Amino acid sequence: MFEYVESAPEEALVSRSARGDEQAFGVLVERYKGMLYSMAYRLMKDRGRAEDAAQESFIKAWAALPGFKGESKFSSWMYRICYNTCISELRKKRPEVELDEAMGVGVEGPAEEFRNRDIQAVIHDEVSRLPDDYRAALTLFHFNGLSYDEIARLAHKPMGTVKAQIHRGRALLKARLLERVGWDNLKEVMWQ
Amino acid sequence: MNCDEVRRSVQDYVTRELAPDDRRRFDAHLVECAECQRELALMTAVVSTLDHQPVLEPSADFSSRVLGSLSRQREFAPSPWWSLALAPLLAGAAWLARGPVERALETISSRPGLIHLSVPAVSLQQAGIAAGAIVVLGLLVAAGGAVFCWQTYLRD
Repeated sequence: MFEYVESAPEEALVSRSARGDEQAFGVLVERYKGMLYSMAYRLMKDRGRAEDAAQESFIKAWAALPGFKGESKFSSWMYRICYNTCISELRKKRPEVELDEAMGVGVEGPAEEFRNRDIQAVIHDEVSRLPDDYRAALTLFHFNGLSYDEIARLAHKPMGTVKAQIHRGRALLKARLLERVGWDNLKEVMWQ
Repeated sequence: MNCDEVRRSVQDYVTRELAPDDRRRFDAHLVECAECQRELALMTAVVSTLDHQPVLEPSADFSSRVLGSLSRQREFAPSPWWSLALAPLLAGAAWLARGPVERALETISSRPGLIHLSVPAVSLQQAGIAAGAIVVLGLLVAAGGAVFCWQTYLRD
């Protein structure tokens, strides 16, 4: 029986997991569950579906680990599995999902109410309304910290397309932020 | 740099992807243009928010559900040790079944009206050699499988 601590080297945990050590894999699950769930949630916009996708990603990873050669970082490999799982789920069915409080807040209302609104909450809310491709590219770039090249390979898209999606996504967010909150309110909150 | 160029470059400026020369020209324009200062402030808010998205936590029993699924998979997954045991077992079963099968074939072929089947005669010595070969083959497969299992599942 082996004892693991939080600081156990990832390479050893991956290697032991590949040989069927569930305890080692449990440490990896603890280490990555937040990132994978957050990523899935931002892509799918629904807590239940995000949990299912994250769980499925770990199970797929467990099955595929004996074939993991370490050519990429384990984190990138896990993100790729999670991304593919989410995209596959998104293509299967698209139920109308009500945005919940973690994704952002409703900001309809009189202008004066915007004054105390959290700008970040408005932006998160607008991120959830972006087209899937833009949201996925922005999530992978800003949240997961992947490079343009890594995203391009993961999403099987030209790097120029990925860059354009990220740029257009940010431009849309900026425009919607300005439209919903108004510059006078924003200025007051941002420069207070 | 004019306003159009600044607006096209503002994202790269915020994410520090703009070349140093362009950055200086951007800064120079910014000093004298309130509209572009606004563009920069907005884009900074967007990029900063995207860069600092919180890590969300799944439900409390998430890890146990994941690990529970792995155990169930393992219960149903055939262990390599079973496949190792199967090789000599199948060989032995084939050898034991040979006699009854031969007798059944002889019975069928001796009935009138049925197609005549001939079973080749095998001497005791030939049968012994065949049985030995099957057992040796089974042992070789078992040894190879044991090495594979040790390397894959049991090492350290």
